[in-house]
Amino acid sequence: MNIIKINGLEKKLDGKEILKGINLEVNKGTIIGIVGPSGSGKSTLLRCINRLIESDRGSIIFNKKNIRDIFPTELRRKIVMVHQESVMFPGSVYNNVSYGASLIADVKKSHILKCIKDAGLTEDFLDTDASKLSGGEKKRVALARALALDPSILLLDEPTSGVDPKKVQTVEKNIIDFSKNRKLTVLWVTHNIDQAMRVSSCIANLKDGVIREVCKTKDFKWEGAY
Amino acid sequence: MGGSILSGIPYSWDEGLIILASVFIILLIVIILSVIKKIGIGKEFTYAILKGGGQLTLIALFLTYLFEFELWYILIWLLLGTMILVSGYTSARRATGMHNAYYVTTPAILIGSSIVLIILALSRAMPMEPQFIIPLAGMAFGNSMAICSISLDRLIREVKLNKLAIETALSLGANSSQALEEYGKISVRTSLIPTIDRLKTLGIIFIPGAMSGLLIAGTNPIVAAEYQIIVYLMIVGGGIITALIVTFLSRKRLFTDAEQLAEWIN
Repeated sequence: MNIIKINGLEKKLDGKEILKGINLEVNKGTIIGIVGPSGSGKSTLLRCINRLIESDRGSIIFNKKNIRDIFPTELRRKIVMVHQESVMFPGSVYNNVSYGASLIADVKKSHILKCIKDAGLTEDFLDTDASKLSGGEKKRVALARALALDPSILLLDEPTSGVDPKKVQTVEKNIIDFSKNRKLTVLWVTHNIDQAMRVSSCIANLKDGVIREVCKTKDFKWEGAY
Repeated sequence: MGGSILSGIPYSWDEGLIILASVFIILLIVIILSVIKKIGIGKEFTYAILKGGGQLTLIALFLTYLFEFELWYILIWLLLGTMILVSGYTSARRATGMHNAYYVTTPAILIGSSIVLIILALSRAMPMEPQFIIPLAGMAFGNSMAICSISLDRLIREVKLNKLAIETALSLGANSSQALEEYGKISVRTSLIPTIDRLKTLGIIFIPGAMSGLLIAGTNPIVAAEYQIIVYLMIVGGGIITALIVTFLSRKRLFTDAEQLAEWIN
């Protein structure tokens, strides 16, 4: 059963066509790798799904409802985007992880702790000044911050960029584990084909604003160039 | 017109013309020096002197007429309205890229200044006579305009600089008010720095306009100082209100109805 269905999505930025009719269906609980070269429209697609920008044409159906009929703040708590660059808000790791969740209700510390652990950090980080973390730690805080909202879908834009290469596979494993445990649907944007092959159950190949191919990961044949 | 027409001014009107001419000689020297040394301010300086002098002469003629006009309370609205519109327009020019910034600056200056002017009127610190209303309203509008310009300029800069942080907050379900909160505070604080610094140095580095005017007119220095403090508190109060309204009204121009950053920010 699909949780998200994209039909004929088009988007122009500064007069340039970035998305030229995207069609994509994503089943609930799967991790889909969206691959493609720089400038192919991967991030723009995620931003349209998160409604950070409005598409020009086409529709995005989430749980059988057009996302334009869902109030943006409500939508973004269900479909949470983790940006390529992890910006930390002023304050501690706890303040950062609880940010989104605390906007709607009181947050239990146990809930924040669970999210931090799921993202691969320990309890010791809770009171650390978030601005002093390494790139990889910031990525994990950004993941925990998204998890704290208990979303249905995670939109990950290059979630391992800036992470120490030795720790990339640990971050990948953390994401795979918490997605499975939480029955999360993940749209994982990456330019790294090997990573997409490792983490996803299916792959969508995006090139020049069009999805060229969607298939199961085991059937995906990369021809060595975009 | 012989003799002193104002208490506190130590010369007559015609003697004043001679003093004015001698001051112009000094300014002429400055302009000539600017041209010789190629500083490049000669043209702008001349324009500013002529424009400022012309404006002051016109307002003086208007005030002379207004002070003697029986129905001054009708005519004064025209003057106050013009002051508001001009200050709103001037401040809006600072908002680079913001569409119709005029609709942010004008209400902000109007509301910020009006609240304190009403309090001054109700407390009788500002008697309801044109010679009190016009200079005090001018001070209130002028200072609110300066604060409005700084706060709007800073707010736009902060939003552009922190676009990613704002979008991160939006992605986590924050609405535009919540995403803008931190930058609104910075904008308000920044806009009040010059006013607060001036407040700290009142009487030490300079004696401000209202007090200077009262001292020249022969008012007791204690009373003049008290009045100056009232004026300054009015400026600070009106300034804070203006800056807060700027942040509040700008939100609709910085974000779309769908809680997205407006395209002109990119």
